[in-house]
Amino acid sequence: MNQSDQNEFVNSIQSKFQNSSVEFDTLKIEVDSHSWVDTHKTLKAEFNLKFFNWLSAVDWDNDVKIGDAPKEPVTPSFEIISCLSTTNSDDLVISSTKISKEDPQIDSLVEVFGGANWHEREAYEMFGINFLNHPNLKKLYLPDAYEGNPLLKSFELISREVKPWPGDVDVEGMPEDNIVVSEEGS
Amino acid sequence: MAQTMDPNNMPILSEASVSVEIETEDMTLNIGPQHPSTHGVLRLVAKINGEKISSVEPVLGYMHRGYEKLAEVRTYPQVTTLVNRIDWVSGFANEIPFIAGAEKLMEIEVPERAQYIRLILTEMARISSHFVFNGAFPLEIGALTPIFLAMEDRERVLDLLESVTGGRFHPNFNRIGGVKPAAGAGPTTKKDIQDLPAGFYHDTKVAMQKVLEAVDRFEDLIGGNEVFQIRTKNVGVLPKEVAEEYGVSGPILRASGVEFDLRKQSNYLPYDKFDFEIPIGENGDCFDRWSVRTSEMRESAKIILQAIDDMPSGPIQAKVPKVIKVPKGQTYVRAENPKGEMGYYIISEGGLGPYRLKIRTASFSNISILPIMLEGALLPDLIAIMGSLDFVLGDVDR
Amino acid sequence: MSFSTELLIKVLVVLATAPVMALGLTLLEVKGSAWMQRRPGPLHVGLRGFIFPLATAAKYLQKETIIPNDVDEPVFKWAPAWVIAAVVGLFTIIPLSPTLIVRDLELGVFFLLAISSISTIGVLTAGWSSANKFSLMGGLRAAGQLIAYELPLILSVVGVVIQAETMSTVGIVEKQIEFGFPFVISGQGIAFIIFMIAATAEMMRTPFDMPIGESELTMGFFTEYSGIRFLIFYISEYINLFVMCAIASTLFLGGYHVPLLPTEWVNFYGPLVLIGKTFLLAFILIAIRWSFPRFREDQLQTLAWKVLIPLSLLNIMATAIMKVVF
Repeated sequence: MNQSDQNEFVNSIQSKFQNSSVEFDTLKIEVDSHSWVDTHKTLKAEFNLKFFNWLSAVDWDNDVKIGDAPKEPVTPSFEIISCLSTTNSDDLVISSTKISKEDPQIDSLVEVFGGANWHEREAYEMFGINFLNHPNLKKLYLPDAYEGNPLLKSFELISREVKPWPGDVDVEGMPEDNIVVSEEGS
Repeated sequence: MAQTMDPNNMPILSEASVSVEIETEDMTLNIGPQHPSTHGVLRLVAKINGEKISSVEPVLGYMHRGYEKLAEVRTYPQVTTLVNRIDWVSGFANEIPFIAGAEKLMEIEVPERAQYIRLILTEMARISSHFVFNGAFPLEIGALTPIFLAMEDRERVLDLLESVTGGRFHPNFNRIGGVKPAAGAGPTTKKDIQDLPAGFYHDTKVAMQKVLEAVDRFEDLIGGNEVFQIRTKNVGVLPKEVAEEYGVSGPILRASGVEFDLRKQSNYLPYDKFDFEIPIGENGDCFDRWSVRTSEMRESAKIILQAIDDMPSGPIQAKVPKVIKVPKGQTYVRAENPKGEMGYYIISEGGLGPYRLKIRTASFSNISILPIMLEGALLPDLIAIMGSLDFVLGDVDR
Repeated sequence: MSFSTELLIKVLVVLATAPVMALGLTLLEVKGSAWMQRRPGPLHVGLRGFIFPLATAAKYLQKETIIPNDVDEPVFKWAPAWVIAAVVGLFTIIPLSPTLIVRDLELGVFFLLAISSISTIGVLTAGWSSANKFSLMGGLRAAGQLIAYELPLILSVVGVVIQAETMSTVGIVEKQIEFGFPFVISGQGIAFIIFMIAATAEMMRTPFDMPIGESELTMGFFTEYSGIRFLIFYISEYINLFVMCAIASTLFLGGYHVPLLPTEWVNFYGPLVLIGKTFLLAFILIAIRWSFPRFREDQLQTLAWKVLIPLSLLNIMATAIMKVVF
């Protein structure tokens, strides 16, 4: 991998897309949900990002039933994230867009990347996001009769309610010492 | 249609020729989820016309365990136990990108020796995964002998993995900041950390020679087999444009002629210090997929032998806080797993566990091309194509 | 001895021999495959695993016979009978010595070809009546395969018949003794190879086992069978292996005779020689089975119609020309 090539790529992306950032070696661009499909067409045609890596979503919410809530309050929304890369270097772009939770819908990427098909179906069943113009939008993993969208932050893990997970106990000590650290102190 | 008898519309007898073609209807054949060659619980709903497949629809989810959800209620060290079980044929390799992602967010510099140990064990996982493939693929197209030979040869590699990590399939060996001391090593004291079991270098060298011999034997027994060749050559050809569009990665993409290997292109482990080649296929058919994987085993053995000779000394664990909290941030780290590209998109909000963990697995994208590849194929080719894709259901369903 | 007593004795002997030979070949198969695959094979069932085939047979005998709901019951139940009748019937013409033969038929070879094709009916009905799509496909594949390979089987034997000028199996062996060399090295080498390939396909053994093809069709036409009916299919596979190899050694390898041994004692060494040759041939087929993957359906048909049949026709022509010239 060549460092200067990498920087050149990042610069070219950043000059094309205003809302871009490099965080922990990951180049991320944020676009408007209306230009979602066009962005991918541009990335594919102009930046040689032909390799469709994945697509998924994030449920941003302050009121979480499981796990840790965000440190700073966020605007409740769905963030759709896709990842494209080239097949001759380490160049990789994460594109993201936010859509409202009340009306979660966005254009499908299937016409640009055929591989988006299954990823969008997964996001559809896990978050309830409606992908417009998708050829076959039905559940991928879950049974047809399943209700709810499991990856929503409001979706509880019932087993965790019954028996809490030991959580933050590091069972095995570090190599320096074998002291079990427990924050609960019991 | 209720049509009245109109003399003008009556068919003239000479025109009403007898149709000799028999009307046939496609038969729906449900393959799986309990079927000998679906590698677990994949279900394919195939429409077949005689032996010819007109369409296939894969039905997933029989092994969906919801790891992305479960990761949200676990701390970072606990997630490694989950990700071990994604692709259980090469459990060790699954840990690497996740741990590397967490380390990147915490900005921890991993000691070189730990990286070497990771690299060696990852390559061992690759060899053991490809051994399974070399046994299972011929088994699926009807040759029963290779799987016994492959399992015996794989055992040597698994023994080494076990002597270091204590686990054959689910090592759970990586720690954030390094690796843990080996299971087979002597008692650990504060002063003298023995990180690898006694005799590991020697045993590894012996085992890698055996692996190289085994690869030669497989190339002779499987690749040189005429029936195997006519069953796999020009069967299931995957053009590289389609492969790229569908995110097909790993040996399958390389068999289609794309020289894309994250070991060369990315820097998640110090692969740039070693001399190895990336095997490339020409036609993208089942035979190329087999031969790319088999050649890769040879390259992996070479990497391990070089790494053993070149092994640096030093600590195997960086200084990390006792309670691991990952600062706020997002990163995507990917690695070249035996099955293809595996990556984790970690969104951390500064808590004990990830806010959201997207797991990108290789087999999921790799089998998403099944409907395209199987259209128009023959039923025996379905088995050959599925076998050559070398997927693991845990890697598909997560 | 009256005809009926003689018949009874012969039937009993054949019925006793056939399963014993099948068990012997099963043992050869499990031990042979274990040897090829670097594993010990059966070890624990009595006498270092040597009564393992018997234990397998006993296990199937005591298993419950499961008949699925939707099957065509009489057809389903009788299908195994067709198969085993066809293979056991072939014992009639296997000469263990000039006199140790059930019946030295004048049209022995003709009988062989006629009877061996009966098993097609059993296989097809088993596949059809099972009410299972995998079985149906297995049955259809089997029917296509048996019909395709019947022809090269017949045509390769025609060469032998022309050279021997008789259809009687004893007559063919005697001709080879008279000739001094078995037919395999005196003119019918190609026919022998064609016969063995076609016989392997008839037996549905790897690399011609698409009708069973366990990775595609689970167990092919006998997927739905269990218990004693499964055992009948299983055992007839090995009886068939024995019979086909015995016929091949009779037609091509000089049968019960080996050169240099005195022909007066043929009744003593004849059976041993024939069984020895048979097991040798069977071992070759077993080695092939454990080394090759299976063909695809269309490749198998191509092999039969485009390679084996023209070759065997050429062989007939060549044999006939040689016969006329010399």
